Amino acid sequence: MVVSCPGLCCPDGRPRDPGDFGDFGDSGDFGHLEAARLLERVIAVVTGFCPKVEVVEPGVCAFGARGPARYFGGETALAARIIAAVADLVVESRVGVADGLFAALLAARGASPASAASPGRAADSSSAILVVPPGGTAQFLAAQPVSVLADQDLAGLLKRLGLGKLGEFAALPARDVASRFGDAGEYAHRLARGLDPRSLAARPPPADLSVAQEFDPPESRAEPVVFAAKALAEQLHAGLAARGLTCVCVQVRATWADGRESSRLWRHDGLLSAAGVADRVRWQLDGWRPTPGDGAPSDREADAGQHPEGGIAVLRLSPDLLVRAAGQQLALWGETVVSDRVARAAMRVQAMLGHEAVLRPVIGGGRDFADQVTPIPFGEKTEPRLAADQPWPGRVIGPAPSLVYPAAHEAEVTDDAGEIVTVSGRCMVSAAPARLAMPGEPPRRVTGWAGPWPLSERWWDPAAARRRARFQLATDDGRAWLAVVQDGRWLIEAAYW
Amino acid sequence: MPVGESGPSAVPGAAPGSGTLPVLPALRELLPRGGLARGSVLAVAEFGLLCLALVAGVSADGAWCGIAGIPEAGVLAAVGLGLDAGRTLLVPDPGPAWPQVVASLLDGCELVLLRPPARAPAQVRQRLEATLRRGRGVLLVTGDWPGAQVRLRVVTQRWTGLGDGHGRLRACCAEVVANGRGEAAMTRTRWLWLPAENGGVAVADPRDLPADFPFDVPAGLPFTQASPALRAVSNG
Repeated sequence: MVVSCPGLCCPDGRPRDPGDFGDFGDSGDFGHLEAARLLERVIAVVTGFCPKVEVVEPGVCAFGARGPARYFGGETALAARIIAAVADLVVESRVGVADGLFAALLAARGASPASAASPGRAADSSSAILVVPPGGTAQFLAAQPVSVLADQDLAGLLKRLGLGKLGEFAALPARDVASRFGDAGEYAHRLARGLDPRSLAARPPPADLSVAQEFDPPESRAEPVVFAAKALAEQLHAGLAARGLTCVCVQVRATWADGRESSRLWRHDGLLSAAGVADRVRWQLDGWRPTPGDGAPSDREADAGQHPEGGIAVLRLSPDLLVRAAGQQLALWGETVVSDRVARAAMRVQAMLGHEAVLRPVIGGGRDFADQVTPIPFGEKTEPRLAADQPWPGRVIGPAPSLVYPAAHEAEVTDDAGEIVTVSGRCMVSAAPARLAMPGEPPRRVTGWAGPWPLSERWWDPAAARRRARFQLATDDGRAWLAVVQDGRWLIEAAYW
Repeated sequence: MPVGESGPSAVPGAAPGSGTLPVLPALRELLPRGGLARGSVLAVAEFGLLCLALVAGVSADGAWCGIAGIPEAGVLAAVGLGLDAGRTLLVPDPGPAWPQVVASLLDGCELVLLRPPARAPAQVRQRLEATLRRGRGVLLVTGDWPGAQVRLRVVTQRWTGLGDGHGRLRACCAEVVANGRGEAAMTRTRWLWLPAENGGVAVADPRDLPADFPFDVPAGLPFTQASPALRAVSNG
């Protein structure tokens, strides 16, 4: 049996009959993605009647009708039910039934489209069904024009030879067809005689390898959930191992009674034990735990029942990115091997604060001290933002500052007369800096200074261009500062002490 | 510049035991057992290069280190002192649940440098100290920590190399004072180049100090009493 949805087929540019659309949707120019999604839903509907469905081409699926037809009381009755069910998705469909896939496809194409795809008019669907009786396939095919063959070159040749109908082509001896037309001709000849070149490759529906546990009543304490997670993880691993698979990631999804969800992917690589998965569930739940006001690590029992979410209703573990279990091989050379202990600690903190909260510094190049360190979230590929092997003229040489402020601090640098020290366009300083004042701190006397060191970066890019003059200042408290003048303002970028 | 590099031979009887994490050679004399005792808390009065030098010494030995609550930590300066950036975890903002974050980091790292975002109540401190004793790690806190075994403080410091509109920062001479409880009860004072001109940390000789060094150091230290005529140092 072949179910064809004309509105969903042929996204590859074959001419579409505008009439095929019926009142499907509002317009014919829906995107491929939308069509694919709709097709997926249609397939799901058809799968409800028969689990083993083969998608033949976009918009067309086929399945063996014998079993389901007997169950639903005949092929016509089954087809009517399918058309009605698909019409619920506002998709018109046609059904063809024949002994082979090719004939059934032609039958579905030959069935006149259901006049309107509305659920209320499913009774009219009989015109959208064409059933070729058992044994009548050869006769049905004989009346078809040769142009129905997919091989249009062959169809044209046959037409020029005076063979207009498939029946005339089928009447030729198979041996002569093979010697004259080759493999393609033999294949078409088999189709024309109603013999299927292959059987339906209907695969059983994919097994659901995810495991879940419901908590009724919802569980507000973490311990029982983590305990259940351990059993679930064992179940998940057993299911994967039975199929010779392993997963790269495992998704832990906890649903609270009020409908909120916490979903997180954890690296698995087939290395995690059930207890390891349970640990990750615990960290994930810890991360969602409302933080106590005093910031103290509180007992789990102490704040049990304080969950505003009302407890966990469902815990589901889904394997992600399945791969064949082929064992593990570590690289001989490479980056610093992150030991299990460190990875656990880092991931635990990530579970509490988020992925971006745990960083690994990578030393790169750049003219600013802040640019030379690229913080990379733990678990990601460590690569500096700016290459370290470039010369970077204009960078400050000498000892690196022990404090590099993520956001430069505002400051005021004044001379002996109390005027703000300015730097001219020709990089001349108005006067020697005498005092450094930062908001909220008493002013410091400048005991030594050097500069200005001009730095003009990315003048070709108006968005990123910066013109600055840098100074090193030493103050009477024994500290030293890296200050810049940009747009007439003084900023402290880094400090030395 | 005659900078006295403090080699292992210069440290009398301070072979780091298995119960300590190693520090840079110049810092050994400041610490009671020539290293950071595992399971202990050290407090440094203020975040600065001294903290990074302590972390760098441990990291140079191959241990993992964590830096929590210090977004402005100059990783580059620490790398210059020996920090292995590949074995460093940064948690710039540990948030209100910082005790749990630090406890988790201590599970994976030998040393955690922490600036607590808020004042730690006694109960929180005791919990963290118990975690430390179990895990044999070291917690290095900047700021005040009442239970710290060793407290370190930079009393005086002075940068060399900057003139009046010329030069550049080259080295910093600092006086570091360590005291604490138990075996660290004796106050130790050392002059250090922090950093030295070659980028490391070295023991400073009082005679190398700049001539105009402001001697507002507490009286009574042997060094100030015995200070001979100070020799000026040229900083090219």
